[in-house]
Amino acid sequence: MNDLGAPGEAFSDDLILAGVGRFLDELDPPPGDLVQRVQFALALEDLDVEVARWERLDNLAGVRGGGTGTITFTVSDLTVMINLTKMGKLHRIDGWLVPAGQYGVEVRVAEHGTSSTTADEGGRFVLDNVPRGTTQILVHLGDVSCRRTVVTPTVVL
Amino acid sequence: MTDVQTTEVDPPWEGLTGAELHAACMQAARDGDRRAMARLVEELTPLVWHVARANGLDRSVAEDVVQTVWLALFSQLGKLRDPKALAAWLITTTRREATHPFGRRMQPVPLSDEVAEAMPSTQPAPEDEAVRADRDRRVWRAFVRLPHRCQELLRLTVLAGRAEYQLVAEVLRIPRGSIGPTRGRCLDQMRDLLASEGGSR
Repeated sequence: MNDLGAPGEAFSDDLILAGVGRFLDELDPPPGDLVQRVQFALALEDLDVEVARWERLDNLAGVRGGGTGTITFTVSDLTVMINLTKMGKLHRIDGWLVPAGQYGVEVRVAEHGTSSTTADEGGRFVLDNVPRGTTQILVHLGDVSCRRTVVTPTVVL
Repeated sequence: MTDVQTTEVDPPWEGLTGAELHAACMQAARDGDRRAMARLVEELTPLVWHVARANGLDRSVAEDVVQTVWLALFSQLGKLRDPKALAAWLITTTRREATHPFGRRMQPVPLSDEVAEAMPSTQPAPEDEAVRADRDRRVWRAFVRLPHRCQELLRLTVLAGRAEYQLVAEVLRIPRGSIGPTRGRCLDQMRDLLASEGGSR
């Protein structure tokens, strides 16, 4: 390609690794509030939980901080769909659990405490006037003999 | 007054670093000490983050994966007996989460586009600095074109070279100051990419 010698040759191992090091620190560091958000997600009374995954079937990037949209999250045998409607500084959360069941649902928002409700027979639930911010959703499944809690990672809504 | 002193007593991991710090924190976390968990999270989140990013996740998905990994760790901490296995566990679990077929159906923004946006433009600077900035940009452009496994290995190599991530060096089994054969191949691949770019920019 280049008769003057390959320009890549000038890059020693050390030079490359130093460059990658600056890449990690300057271009791709963890977000500044990530540690706090993990710590918020972990501030649960009982850490015997199953962790659900946020699915991004519709563009969650448009939901984050944007106020309106649908989010789905799943764990082995449960799917939770959530529709957000922005109402000023608050939002309304319409949710649907599949398979349906009268399960307890909690929404924790950092610095704002917890809102909770119970889904109806059809698996639907509504939470009004939920503050916006760093949010985590918990679903309590099963009965007293076999209680399970599913939690989501926190997300800024 | 006694109360104040009790709550401010130094935790057992105070002053420890590296593997000893992690072992002490894991022991305390198993007994339900939340400060110990917080300390581990603070200490090792960058490691989990860089493994997630190296495996092709965009920044917002990587954030979720980081949290999922930590929640998974603390919900089953009792099963992880050997504190020395912590870094290996975090790396393996993050990698598995990152490639999980669920919920990753949306095409992530290619890292190279994000980087192009974030890439600082050339600023007037002292000559040395300008040369370094230009060299960095070339390295970064080549880096994001590497296969994921090379990106991960090089990120981990850089972290392992830092005092606070000595445990990564143990996971990678890197003899101090040496470049293993796989790493050597990744670095050669970088040089090929740098060469093919021709340094014309």
